[in-house]
Amino acid sequence: MKPGGILVLLAACLAACSNEARTIGPAMPQTLPSGDADPRIGAYQENAYQVSQGRRYFAWYGCSQCHAEGGPADRDLTDGKWRHGGGFAQVYASVASGHPEQDFVRRIAIEQLWQITAYVRDLPTHTAEKRYRLLVDQKGEAQGSSWNGPQ
Amino acid sequence: MNRASPLLAIGLLAACSGRQSPLAPAGDQAETLHQLFLLALAVCGIVYLVVVAALVWSLMRRGRDEDRDGAMRGLNRGLWATGIGIVLGVTILIVGSFLADRALFATRGEDALEVRITGHQWWWRIEYRVGGTARWIETANELHLPRGRTTRVLLGSADVIHSFWVPNVAGKIDMIPGRRNVLDLTPRQSGWFRGQCGEYCGMQHAHMAFDVKVEEPAQFEAWLARQSRMARPVGDSRGMHGQAVFARTCSACHAVRGTTASGRAGPDLTHVGARRSIAAGTITMSRGALQGWIAQPQALKPGTSMPAIPLAPADADAVAHYLAGLR
Ligand code: HEC
Ligand code: HEC
Ligand SMILES: [Cu+2]
Repeated sequence: MKPGGILVLLAACLAACSNEARTIGPAMPQTLPSGDADPRIGAYQENAYQVSQGRRYFAWYGCSQCHAEGGPADRDLTDGKWRHGGGFAQVYASVASGHPEQDFVRRIAIEQLWQITAYVRDLPTHTAEKRYRLLVDQKGEAQGSSWNGPQ
Repeated sequence: MNRASPLLAIGLLAACSGRQSPLAPAGDQAETLHQLFLLALAVCGIVYLVVVAALVWSLMRRGRDEDRDGAMRGLNRGLWATGIGIVLGVTILIVGSFLADRALFATRGEDALEVRITGHQWWWRIEYRVGGTARWIETANELHLPRGRTTRVLLGSADVIHSFWVPNVAGKIDMIPGRRNVLDLTPRQSGWFRGQCGEYCGMQHAHMAFDVKVEEPAQFEAWLARQSRMARPVGDSRGMHGQAVFARTCSACHAVRGTTASGRAGPDLTHVGARRSIAAGTITMSRGALQGWIAQPQALKPGTSMPAIPLAPADADAVAHYLAGLR
């Protein structure tokens, strides 16, 4: 490989280095997003770690049971068409208060709602390959109250 | 330094008899590996001494005249001796390692108690098979083993690669997503030991430990029978209140068998009060520690997937009281 190519490759590798950078501990949001311009949104929406935690909780809190293909509600969240709006605060509200029966506002802590929202808003950007990859990666995790083991 | 060196040596050796040490074997597999280690140490030690002695010897002979033929003869003899030494050493090590491997797998054909252990970031799901059935008894972060019997652990991982390691009982083996690794454990000494994840698996890898108790078979059976039971009904009003709060806020991730709480994402808490530590060996179990963990899991184990859930003080107190009573 030419030196120029190596440099480009190196730059590409390093560019991803800050993708998961985050503060840990009390800096976490304890309040709802104040609107789509809330300055904290970037730290969640643009952060690979926060989005991936969001995916984890999405499965753990049983969202995938209704929002996966063929689920009982089968409300597709991946098409990018939001019935109740696609802004951060709007999706947050859809999750937290749009499911009165599940009472997510009280059952899910605020920081987790931030992470889940970031993940839900990330869904429309997923390619088919990425969806498959995530499915394989999360096979071993619980979906709501069912867990079938990693195999 | 001179006076400090014995102290230093004691400090280093003090770690050798601990409850997490491969140098204090308490089981057949660990004993086998320990013997192999001693054999390798002896062979390598002898080689080291011979090399150093030859070096010193040749330095002392520096400058001494000798006729060329004599020197060549000496060199030839030396080369032969070295060759024989290498072949001998390597043969001893290969035979030793072959025998050790056979010993590690000696119990594989026999019946054994089956335990399925799944690594999660950053805790251990532990399930005991009920003899010959498809039913499993689930617990977490504390492994009990009957002394003198072989337990076969079936290892898997739910997320990234972890590694199962109880050095006093056996060697370590990786837990790989999508793969089932198997390890036989035949402990010979009762007591508490410590297991630790042996493969870096993320921020709280160091806090991914577990307690291991080797006990007499009768004691073990009694423990397993207790674990298989539903949670004890709560007797007092504070406990009832705690149970209600738990069902509302914690049941998405935690199960307490015999109640409505049936989440599977986090550790099973049916008998959490009987465990020795909290959050995979992070803190010692007590009523206060439970409340501290519930209030601030992110402070005790930053990055853990257990969320900090704001609870009113009376609710937090009731939940901790309830969990401590789940024995
Ligand atoms: C019992 C089934 C069920 C579960 C569980 C569930 N949802 Fe929904 N969800 C629905 C239905 C049905 C709708 C459509 C409601 C509507 O359009 O008013 C919906 C709508 C939504 C929307 C709004 C979509 C839009 O077009 O604006 C979002 C976002 C959402 N859900 C996220 C979640 C998340 C995150 C979870 C888990 C915390 C979850 N859902 C759990 C059934 C469910
Ligand atoms: C979103 C999922 C989730 C929720 C909700 C949750 N936990 Fe946890 N909990 C976890 C996970 C994951 C762990 C393992 C954490 C670790 O060790 O890193 C855990 C660990 C624990 C432990 C330690 C268990 C052990 O074996 O050492 C206790 C006790 C506990 N949680 C109590 C609670 C209580 C009480 C609540 C409700 C106030 C609660 N949890 C809510 C996911 C959750
Ligand atoms: Cu690990």
